[in-house]
Amino acid sequence: MQYTFALRTIYPYLGTLWQAALVTLYLSLLGIAISLVIGAGVAVMRRSRSMPVRFLGAAYVEVMRNTPLLVILYIVYFALPQTGLRLSSFTAALIGLSLNSAGYMAEILRAGLIAIPHGQREAAASQGMSGLQAFRYIVFPQVIRIVYAPLGNQFIAVILASSLASVIAVEDVASWMQTIGSTSFRFFETFVVAAGVYLVLCQSVNLGRIAIGRALFKHLRSAR
Amino acid sequence: MNQSWVAFLPLFVKAAGITIWLSWLALMIGAFGGTLIALMRTSRFLPLRLVALLYTEFFRSIPILIVLFFAYFGVPLVLGIDLPPFAAATCALALHASSTMSEVVRAGIESVGKGQWEAAHASGMRYPAIMRYVVGPQAIRVILPPSVGVYVATLKESSLASIIGYIELTKTGLLVRESTGGGFAPLLVLAVIYFLINYAISLGGAALERRFDVGQKFLTVGAGQ
Repeated sequence: MQYTFALRTIYPYLGTLWQAALVTLYLSLLGIAISLVIGAGVAVMRRSRSMPVRFLGAAYVEVMRNTPLLVILYIVYFALPQTGLRLSSFTAALIGLSLNSAGYMAEILRAGLIAIPHGQREAAASQGMSGLQAFRYIVFPQVIRIVYAPLGNQFIAVILASSLASVIAVEDVASWMQTIGSTSFRFFETFVVAAGVYLVLCQSVNLGRIAIGRALFKHLRSAR
Repeated sequence: MNQSWVAFLPLFVKAAGITIWLSWLALMIGAFGGTLIALMRTSRFLPLRLVALLYTEFFRSIPILIVLFFAYFGVPLVLGIDLPPFAAATCALALHASSTMSEVVRAGIESVGKGQWEAAHASGMRYPAIMRYVVGPQAIRVILPPSVGVYVATLKESSLASIIGYIELTKTGLLVRESTGGGFAPLLVLAVIYFLINYAISLGGAALERRFDVGQKFLTVGAGQ
């Protein structure tokens, strides 16, 4: 049997693809935002003066970075309801994705924070700057430069990882590919279309990061 | 009847072995493919560089899951070849690993100074000899530590094989969970086993990095999938 590639065979399913793409987009954007917040918290914990707090932060990062997201998703989806908490699959996926990504975000942000020598803060204080001012004018501009590229890569990683939500019945793009592929037997076409959606999402983050980075850090390059 | 998951512990250990083997195989194929792509990426010929760039960007921008779906459900339809779950999973993991490894190997090759190439050329060496005797041995110190990170990533990604029904560690955990009455413990055991394996490998990687001391941070390979 000869398989002929014909994109028009899946035209009828493009309406559901739009829905699925929106789900992937929401899940990724929310996942990025929430994991940034949790990650920032954990990064600060790892710089704490109290040993147990530091240990907790480090333990969180190691557990999240060394356990597969799929297993975390199963735990959130199957185990949390047993404690009486009822979650929709979207919420469960969002929680799992955010918790997992936060481990990576924390490491990226921490790398940015430890790169600023303490002397700079002391120098800022000696100039009469408040803690907040020192952060805003001295620390933050340098941290952002260090974390900029890795954060962009992590954003892409979250978009890709969001595809696992399809395993716990979230109807995203990966789930669309699987459902439409098995009803229409057009797996080649659905693969090409689904890959196209992820490619557009990820490359817009990638190219957007490069373009914004050029504009943001222009003064640095001309200085060199 | 609710059996305890403890009775299944030998099964977990065996399944962990399968997971390690599957991800090791995928990493080895990925490292081989990734090295070829990296050589293309650092080549003098623009078309080769372009093809390598497109390959890397393509596999970095699509989830492994949809590659896996295509390999398992699509390939039999399109090519008429039935891939068993093991082969489909190995292919999908190796394709993704090859794109990551190509970046790692490229960074290694580019870490070797231009003067080395010029000196080797000047002493009459050709490309294969330069790669083998001059650039390779220096690049490998930069390549090995982040490769350990790629292995950890591949090991976590290998959990996806459970979705197409291949019985590795994750699938074993799910099956044990079903046969013991849907408890919480088997999933937790699963997480602990993955953690122990990966943490041990990560520690090994950190030791390797210290030994080579190339002053380069452990390459972060993004959120595991």
